[in-house]
Amino acid sequence: MTDVHAPVLRLTNVSRSFGPVKALNNVSLEIHRGEVLGLVGENGAGKSTLLKILAGIEKPDSGTIEMNGAEVKFRGPADARAAGVGVVHQEQSLFTNLTIAENIEQHSLAETGLSRVGIQQWSRLNRETQKVLDMIGAKLDPNAKVSDISFIDRQMVEIARAVCIDPGTGKTPLVILDEPTAVLEQQETEILEREIRKLKEFASVIFVSHRLDEILRICDRVVVMRRGSLSSDRPTKGVTKAELFSAMVENQTDAAPHTRTRPAEISRPVVKVSKLSRRGEYEDISFEVFPGQILALVGSSKSGRESLARTLFGAETHDSGAIEINGETVSRWSILKAAQAGIAYVPAERKVEGIIGGFSSTRNIALTNPGEGALGPFLRPRAMARVARRWFDRLDVRPGDISLPLGQFSGGNQQKVVMAKWLNAPNLKLLILDHPLRGLDVGASATVNAQIRAACKAGAGVILIPDTIEEALEMADDIIVMRDGLRSAAHDLHRNQSLGIQDILADMV
Amino acid sequence: MMKQLLSNESKGPLGLIVSVVVLMVIFSILNPRFASIENVQNVLFQSSVPLIIVVGATLVILMGSIDLSVQGVMGAAGMVWILISPNTRTEIDLGVWAWVIALATGVGLGLFAGIIYDKLKVPSFVATLGTWYVGLGIGIMLYGNGMLPSLTNETLARWPTRLTLGIPNSFWLAAVVLLGGVLITGYTRFGRGLLAIGNNETIAHSSGIRVSRYKILALSIAGGLSALAGILATMQLGSGSSDIGSTQLFIVIPAAVIGGTALSGGEGGVLHSALGVFLLVILNNGLVLAGVNPNYQQGVFGLILIIAIVAVAWPYRNRLKVAK
Repeated sequence: MTDVHAPVLRLTNVSRSFGPVKALNNVSLEIHRGEVLGLVGENGAGKSTLLKILAGIEKPDSGTIEMNGAEVKFRGPADARAAGVGVVHQEQSLFTNLTIAENIEQHSLAETGLSRVGIQQWSRLNRETQKVLDMIGAKLDPNAKVSDISFIDRQMVEIARAVCIDPGTGKTPLVILDEPTAVLEQQETEILEREIRKLKEFASVIFVSHRLDEILRICDRVVVMRRGSLSSDRPTKGVTKAELFSAMVENQTDAAPHTRTRPAEISRPVVKVSKLSRRGEYEDISFEVFPGQILALVGSSKSGRESLARTLFGAETHDSGAIEINGETVSRWSILKAAQAGIAYVPAERKVEGIIGGFSSTRNIALTNPGEGALGPFLRPRAMARVARRWFDRLDVRPGDISLPLGQFSGGNQQKVVMAKWLNAPNLKLLILDHPLRGLDVGASATVNAQIRAACKAGAGVILIPDTIEEALEMADDIIVMRDGLRSAAHDLHRNQSLGIQDILADMV
Repeated sequence: MMKQLLSNESKGPLGLIVSVVVLMVIFSILNPRFASIENVQNVLFQSSVPLIIVVGATLVILMGSIDLSVQGVMGAAGMVWILISPNTRTEIDLGVWAWVIALATGVGLGLFAGIIYDKLKVPSFVATLGTWYVGLGIGIMLYGNGMLPSLTNETLARWPTRLTLGIPNSFWLAAVVLLGGVLITGYTRFGRGLLAIGNNETIAHSSGIRVSRYKILALSIAGGLSALAGILATMQLGSGSSDIGSTQLFIVIPAAVIGGTALSGGEGGVLHSALGVFLLVILNNGLVLAGVNPNYQQGVFGLILIIAIVAVAWPYRNRLKVAK
């Protein structure tokens, strides 16, 4: 029997090194039943290593792990699952071509009776899945195909999968949510928050996020990691964002707000959009962006802002209206023409659209605009490496190996390289950024933001699709709020310095 | 149960059914003989061999691999079978054991390809391409320079064309195989596992699905079904030939694709592929009956094939957009 009063999880002096790097250094930690523990820290602070150890993917060099009062040793992910640890990874890991029930089954539902000999009993499977879905309060049809449900619903399926352990053992499930909100829109985040409160009734939760206000809102306790150790462990009540921030970073540098000096509008706009519409996405949108100006498009996931941005880059077509680039109305707009006209696009789906994971950073940067890295049709490897080296230094990409396949870098560092690829354009006129800070930590975000401002200063216009309203308020000169494809409000942040989140939120929903 | 099945077989094959019907109407207008009972029986007869093959091919394609060995396996199994069944060349007649041994030859070749594919990490394209020629080699070796081995047992030779309830026995056999395929893909952990592997092999692996075993099993089943098709084709022809499977591969794979079974894996299903087979067989049959100049038939067939594939692929076109 398990001791109900023992903590669900207790780590004692857990350490893990990779070569000379101490990823985890004597970490001790307890989580109790029904507790939501926030875990924050910069990229590389050791969060991932800690999570991997809990998920059974990595083994600790020393120290002990106890669950429900008994020491456990995970030989692999299956052991961790059996002990009640369910991980919702940053990237979704569902079979999109199978049903919700099957996705949960593949992970956990116990094999009994006919299913042991390999026969799929649909009705029994659906019935048991319904129980799990009811338990977490998700209103989903177990028989629905995952590709047909929304992103947030998929997240619910992931959670259902994580909490789904054999109920007979009396164990408390430990659900680890690794940056679940990084890819969610505001309303979706609210759904997730409700879900976490629901989970508290029967599970313990470790919640990882880069967004400190979320942590403070959702968690009972918050743990800060810095350089492989815990630098702070305290109840969230009474903690301020500033305190967490200072526990995360050693030397507080640039948290500088936007200086907001509006560029002179004597020049002609880089892009002028008039009455642009695309059926089912956005309608009757007009705006201008001048050199040096940052325009933020704010809205929820169905606002049409992503589609609008992609249209400007030639990745989607529009049905009516006109786009003027550098004063000329475009026709048969395409990605190739957009790139030639000096438009850069940093996509939200970094892994899929932004990088070629098997290529080195050098080759990734040279893809679009090799610059001095090419002579006519021929590539110049040494010059390419020089260009990459320069960007690595400027953007502080870590690790600093330009020949390593880009797929092996962390998300934040990949994003820096994606930025470099486009910033390397000699004639950069317009920078379109689709969720540039998605999944980035405080340090990497600061670097990316600094580069955006630098590009502005050099005369490029910027269209920003931010993750949060705060990001828009910090970076932009102007904000256009979109709702259901229509422009619902526009704000000039120079004239209206006191504009708050609530004002914008009101126009969004 | 049916609802379950259709939802599992993804994006309704409605468009395909419509195009099969349209094609039938057009051909009936061009030549009324097309709609005659004799011709319908003829179409069912002609589609039985590719139907049997396509079931195995679909299992393999669903997991994102491909089986090119079809024609070689057919040749080998067909020759093995006829030489140990009542025939004009050898005195051996093993009766039912002839079937067992010939089918085992196919399963063995599939197993061989599966092990090379899975254990040696060779792409299935290459592993099965090699197996194709191994099978063909066995067939040619058995064919040798001796006398043409023809079936001497009239009952056996007539069985494929004989009608039961108005439908040729060949087609009954194919229908049983088809039903088996539907049950495997819809109602077994193995079948659902194939779909999972086709969707994302890495996740499948980390979810504890026996990826290796399933891969080898799928290729073995495909081998066995190719062998069955080889035996049936040999019976239909009445004599052995190492070339018995010739051109089948280029019916079966386009048929699967037209049916909506994605070559990348994870989408489609056995019924989808079967519809694709019907479309191609009807097309072939109709072009002959419509009196298209035999010199043009191949070219016209190819053109219509391309149109069909484009029409089917249209809804699946992906823009730059991914996820969400």
